[in-house]
Amino acid sequence: MTRLGIFVDRKTMSNAEQLNALIHCRDVAEGMGHEVDFIFPVDISKIPRMDALFIRARTDPMNVTYVAARMAEFYGIPVIDDPASIRICSDKINMYSHMMKAGVAIPKTVFLAKSDLTVERVTELFDELGTPVILKEPSTSFSLRVEKVNDIAGFFAVARRFTRLSDRIVAQQYIESKYDWRVGVLGGNLLYACKYTIPTVTFKIQASVNGHVVYCGVESVPEKAVPPHVIRLGLDAGAAIGNGLYGVDIKNNNGDACVIEVNDNPSLESGEDTCYPRVYENIVSHLFAE
Amino acid sequence: MASPSQYPGGFDPVSQRKNGASWESGAAATTGAALPLQPGPGGVSAVQEHLIPDIHREPKKAGGHREAGLFRDSIHFVERDGITHVISEDYSYKSEPYYAILNYEMRGKPVWPSSSAVLDAYVVPMCLERARLGGIPVCQWEISQGYVPLPSIIYGLNYFATSADFAVVRDGEKAKEVTGHVTNKGKYPFCYQKIPMDATIHTCVGIFGRTTDSCSAIAGLSRKVYETFAIPLVTMVFVRTGGSCLLSSLAPTRFSRISASEKALLSAYLAHQEFL
Repeated sequence: MTRLGIFVDRKTMSNAEQLNALIHCRDVAEGMGHEVDFIFPVDISKIPRMDALFIRARTDPMNVTYVAARMAEFYGIPVIDDPASIRICSDKINMYSHMMKAGVAIPKTVFLAKSDLTVERVTELFDELGTPVILKEPSTSFSLRVEKVNDIAGFFAVARRFTRLSDRIVAQQYIESKYDWRVGVLGGNLLYACKYTIPTVTFKIQASVNGHVVYCGVESVPEKAVPPHVIRLGLDAGAAIGNGLYGVDIKNNNGDACVIEVNDNPSLESGEDTCYPRVYENIVSHLFAE
Repeated sequence: MASPSQYPGGFDPVSQRKNGASWESGAAATTGAALPLQPGPGGVSAVQEHLIPDIHREPKKAGGHREAGLFRDSIHFVERDGITHVISEDYSYKSEPYYAILNYEMRGKPVWPSSSAVLDAYVVPMCLERARLGGIPVCQWEISQGYVPLPSIIYGLNYFATSADFAVVRDGEKAKEVTGHVTNKGKYPFCYQKIPMDATIHTCVGIFGRTTDSCSAIAGLSRKVYETFAIPLVTMVFVRTGGSCLLSSLAPTRFSRISASEKALLSAYLAHQEFL
C-alpha cells in the first residue's frame, strides 16, 4: 500500500474549515487505496518513508514547510508544493519575473531598491503607473503587506516599512475590480475555477478593517461559465512557474485579463471546489503518477 | 573574461571590475531598478525584456578592509571558467546578493552559488541534509516544539531566525530560556542537535573551499562544503568530539570578522591571484 503524507502545522489544524478539508482529502486518498499520515513539523524525519507528500500549511522558503518540501525532493518523493514553486511563488519579485519572462500579462510592474526611494523617482513612478499605486512586500500572502498609496508621502511611509523586510519591493499599477478570478491549475490542466468577490470596504481579498478581519466571498464557477481567455491565461501563468498546483488570481476588466499573482498552496477549504468534486482525487492521482 | 552586457541599461557588473578583477557595489553609481513598461491591452503590461534589475548601494566601511574593496554589504562578481561567482557577506532570502543570483538564473547564465543552495545553506535542517547527501559528516538533527535533550545546540527555525545565532544548552534552565526565545514562546518550531558531553564547538571560515592555517585540520571538510554549496565565503560551525568533526551549520560571514590571512586569501581570489 502506498503512503501519502499530508504535511500540516498547528495553525492549519486549528481552523475548522481547513480541518474539514484535510479530513476530506484523507478520506479521498484512503478511498483510492492509499494510506494517509498527517505529518507535523516534529515528524519531518518520517518524510523519506512516504511515497508522496502534500503540503497543507503556509509555505515560505524561510519556514518549516520548505524544509519538508526539500526533504521530499532530496529523497525523490513527489511533493506538492515542490521547492521550486515555493521559492518562486513566495517571492513576488521572483514570481513576476517568471511572468515577464513567459510573456504572461500582468499589471504595469516596477521593482524598487532602497536606493530608488527618492522623491524624483517616486514622482516618475506615479506618472508611469498612475494613481493609486499598489506596493507589495515580496513575501506577502493573504494580502498582508499589500497597500494602496495615493501620494508620495503615503508611498514613502509604506515603502520604508516594507524595505525593512526586503531589499526590494514591488510597485504596481492599480486595477479596480469587483471580483478576481481564481483559476486552479494542476500539472498544466484546469483543476477548478472560482470568483473571489472583493469586500466593498477594501481592495484586497482579505483585510483587517477596524480591527475585524474581512474575507472575500467565494463562488465556485463551472468551467463552461469561465471566459476561455481567463482559463488560458491561468494555464499560461501556471506553466510559467512549473508543473505543480497553483491558484492564479486574474482580473478581467472589459476583456483585458491580467494575472495579479500566482499562489502555490492555494486555499481549497472555502468552497473553491464546489463545482469540481474531483479536486482532491486529481491531486492525489497527480502525486502518485509522478 | 568579461561577458557581453546582460544587465538592464547595458550595465554589467563583471565588466565593471576594479583592479581588473572584481567589482564591488559602491564602485559604480547606477540605478535602473525600474522596469521599462510596455503597455498592453487596456493599460496592462507584459514586460519581457527586463527581469530582475541590477541595483547597487553605497558601500559602508567595514573596519580596515577598505583597501581590498571589502565593504559592508558590498557584492563582488568574479568570473572563472565561464561561471560567475557572486561574493557577499550574506546571501539571505530577499537580500541584494540573493536577487543578484536570481538575476543571473533568470537569464540562464551560470552562477555560483545558486539561489537554491543559499536557501539550503542558512536553514539548518536543509543544510545538514544536503551536506550529508554530499558526503559530509554532520550532526544528527531533530525538529521540536519544546523538548530538547541535554546537552544540545539549538537553532531557530522561522522567518526571523539566522543560523549565525545558535546556543549551546547544558542545563534545563538555560534550555527553557533559549527555546522560549527561539520559538517566540512556543509559536515556532526549532532545530536541536544533541551533542556529547565532551564536545567542543569550532567555527572556521571557508573561502572558495579553502581555509587558512587556523583551520587546517578541517580543510578537507571545507572543500567538500564548497563542492556541495558553492558558497565562496561562508562560516562553518563544527562539533568536535574525540576524533570526529561534524558539521553543525553554515552561516553568513562579515568581512569585518575575517582574519588578516583570510582577508588576503579572499582578496587574491577577487584579483584572480589565488594560485599564488
